[in-house]
Amino acid sequence: MLRVPGILFIVSCALVTQATAVIAQGSNYETRALRIEGHHGDTRIVRGADGNVVGTIGIFRGVNVAQLVAESDRATLEAKRFAHDYGPGTVFLSLGIATLGASIGVSHINDVNRSITTGLTLAGTGLIVYGAGRLQNAYNALERSIWWYNRDLK
Amino acid sequence: MKSRFFRALSLCALPVSVVAASAAAQQTGRVATSATSTKPSSGTAAQSPVGVDSSRRYDSQALRFEARWGSADIKRGTDGVAVGTVGWFRDFDVEQLVVASPRAVAEARSFRKDNFRGSLAAVAGTVTLLSGIVVTSNSSNNAASPVLIILGVGGVAWGAQHLQLGYSALSRAFWWYNRDLSR
Repeated sequence: MLRVPGILFIVSCALVTQATAVIAQGSNYETRALRIEGHHGDTRIVRGADGNVVGTIGIFRGVNVAQLVAESDRATLEAKRFAHDYGPGTVFLSLGIATLGASIGVSHINDVNRSITTGLTLAGTGLIVYGAGRLQNAYNALERSIWWYNRDLK
Repeated sequence: MKSRFFRALSLCALPVSVVAASAAAQQTGRVATSATSTKPSSGTAAQSPVGVDSSRRYDSQALRFEARWGSADIKRGTDGVAVGTVGWFRDFDVEQLVVASPRAVAEARSFRKDNFRGSLAAVAGTVTLLSGIVVTSNSSNNAASPVLIILGVGGVAWGAQHLQLGYSALSRAFWWYNRDLSR
């Protein structure tokens, strides 16, 4: 007869553990899940329902996303893809804008060969499109990285 | 003996009821969303362990978006199945997509408003800017050209700002929607 309360105690402890796990899982997402938000041209990585900023990505400045999402293997893989594309994307886009600016400047010089202006315009446009493509790949990888990180929150 | 037994029983039941009540309070919204959701595996949810079920639900239902040259594809689950495209003047109903989560619906509404304003201002700004450039290149002494260029740049900047606000709202909408999935 005395064994029954003991068994009941063990069962209740098991139930408490399971219920606590459910609560912890919910609060984990609430407090730790990440998302991306734009802010005056920059991209912010924010955490939790309160939206605490944990990193800012802008022109020539970044955050170590791989470290931020290190708990999830898939997220880390995508974060590395982000890092792989983000740097070159920014450089090519900047070069393209500079080249396009140069072509506009050159076009205002008298007696300049028209093919130079055309060449600079085409090169600038090409660099901008290529850079934008790399940046798009980078941000898509960042989205996937954060998606996997949130999924793997325990 | 009997009283000891019932005292022990009630002591054991107390923590269970407290924690269960707390868990139920936290899960109420999620259960409601899972009931309204179209997920076909909801019938097996009660039979499977919580962790496995929540992971499976996130794997198949959670949303994200990926950019595609001015538009954004909304993708669902680990396979990244495209469920819609949003962007310049596109009329995909994000509110309907995230209807299971009230907070997500509010953010989706904000996205719709900012996306429309941003698209409109960016297009109007671009047209004005191009007109200014054309006027400048044809007759450099025209007084209207700097005004057109300034207005155009302003319109593009204002539009870009609203588009950014819109996509931030979309990100929050999916964050709340994914949060409200049964996890």
